[in-house]
Amino acid sequence: MNPRNRIFALLIGWLALISGLHAYLNVNWASVVNDYLPPQKRKFTVAYIPVTCHLACPVTDYISKFSAAGEVFLPKMFQGFPEIKEALISNKVQAAFIVAPLAIALKSQGVPIKVVYLGHRYGSAVVVRKDGPIKTFADMRGRTIAIPSRFSDERLIVFRAMKAFGIKPSEIKMVEMSPPDVAGALAANAIDAFSMGEPFPSQAEMAGFGRVLFHAREYWPDYMSCVLVVRQDMIDQRPDAVQVLVDGIARSGLWLEKGKSYRENAADFVGRFYYNQNPALLRWALTNPLNRVTYSPLAPRKADFDLVRDLMMETGVLNKKIEFEEYVDLRFADHASIKTAWLYEPGSATAQ
Amino acid sequence: MNSSRQPMKGEQYFWPLLAALLFLAVWHLSVKWSGTKVFPSPFDVERGMAELVHRGLLVRYVADSLGRVAGGYSVAVLLGVPVGLLLGWYPAAAFVVNPTIQILRPISPIAWIPVSIVWFGVGNLAAIYLIFLASFFPIVVASMNAVRNVPSMYRRAGRNFGLSPAMLIAKVVFPASLPQIIVGLRIALGIAWLVVVAAEMIAIDSGLGYLVIDSRNSGKRYDLVVAAMILIGLTGLALDTMFRRIEKLKSVRWGFRYES
Repeated sequence: MNPRNRIFALLIGWLALISGLHAYLNVNWASVVNDYLPPQKRKFTVAYIPVTCHLACPVTDYISKFSAAGEVFLPKMFQGFPEIKEALISNKVQAAFIVAPLAIALKSQGVPIKVVYLGHRYGSAVVVRKDGPIKTFADMRGRTIAIPSRFSDERLIVFRAMKAFGIKPSEIKMVEMSPPDVAGALAANAIDAFSMGEPFPSQAEMAGFGRVLFHAREYWPDYMSCVLVVRQDMIDQRPDAVQVLVDGIARSGLWLEKGKSYRENAADFVGRFYYNQNPALLRWALTNPLNRVTYSPLAPRKADFDLVRDLMMETGVLNKKIEFEEYVDLRFADHASIKTAWLYEPGSATAQ
Repeated sequence: MNSSRQPMKGEQYFWPLLAALLFLAVWHLSVKWSGTKVFPSPFDVERGMAELVHRGLLVRYVADSLGRVAGGYSVAVLLGVPVGLLLGWYPAAAFVVNPTIQILRPISPIAWIPVSIVWFGVGNLAAIYLIFLASFFPIVVASMNAVRNVPSMYRRAGRNFGLSPAMLIAKVVFPASLPQIIVGLRIALGIAWLVVVAAEMIAIDSGLGYLVIDSRNSGKRYDLVVAAMILIGLTGLALDTMFRRIEKLKSVRWGFRYES
């Protein structure tokens, strides 16, 4: 074989090898095949981020795989809310777990989505360095605190605490950081505190350098952070599929509330197969104490959302007064309220 | 058309402007025909830029970004050119250090972000560090190659005149390698300006890169995103044009005599 043919053959062989390896090791064939099914049979793609706020999503996916009806939807993990926002707008995902202020802001900017369910209650905390100079929230004057996004309840809880202590907005510097960066930044003294959802406070606590200054429930009794939104065209064209989705999420919430052993099992399979986080970390976040994060009741309530909307307008991230009915669809949560928890025992291979 | 024909007066502005207008027309028509709800048309972008001017942010953001690039880039030049000269002059040193440089070089500044937050905190210093990293390696490699490409005849002639190694480097090798170093500096400035968006992702609160990230985060302001992109492009063009003037200086003009 002359050199030119040999090089050509090598190139073709290399291309075939890496394509084959990629197709075998990386490609999620379920979602590829899903794109070619007719629209009525296509499964939803649901977006989530590796936080305990969104735990119901991977739990539903895992348990539903064992049930007779099979997988309810295709989960897709993202690393940040801007990417989820863009995927929602361009219909690459049909449903997503996002923070409540972002859902309200997107709806007020004309994105056709509706909130159908909540992610969880509680589960956010403000964390400072363990041996640092900050002993109470009043010491935060003149300091820097990291928040996940300007559209987040974690930012609003800081404002509520500031109101309780009489601190003016200009006296605390807020920086938007992506959640995985904050633990390292706190340890390295780059920030003085952070306000994030689980498991990032737990991560700082377990690593030994963080101390929870206050949990979200101390300044906001019915704190809720993340919500499940679905695109309007899905609600209009396939309401039964949306109902199946909400039912699944509701049943997972009830399953997680059944007891400690179920939560530990969830920490195990979610940490290993979905979040790529240490199961011990998720176990700590879910069981230490058991009410650090609760997954019930998760039906959207007007009072909660009006509070979020008013806080958003007060702090300047929303300029249009939008009503509860415009962005929430309660039908699915109402029908899901009669559902019971999944009948799935940890380690078994059947679920109902 | 003969390519060696000299352009007529004004022609050097006319054709590029025409090409840009054609591009804008294609952009506008694609947005209209595809019916996209997200991607802005040129008019949306122009409105976005007017809004920035109105809020007094345009000049401030451009100045902040330029300041950070200036800081990181000048440190890279001050450190990179001597290091490159030394590595080019002592091939043994280059042989030892080269693998490390070639390992560090392809690491994108975005990959350095978590580490730079831990080292420098959140703020200007971390951003300047990232810009320094992005421009340091191209400068070192270009200076190294420039010294190696100096004809050995120059070195031998200098030694014939009895010059010490230090004088040789200062009076013969450095001026001889200057044209290639200038080319490396120009490329490094382009890279530094390119990295400004990544560098300003670290919880900075001003600058063109921050504008891109911030507009994206605040919902559906993609008109500001594209406006910031265009501003970045135009400023990059201005920087590059300025740099090409340096190539016309007397001390380096001889190195570009073969360019058409």
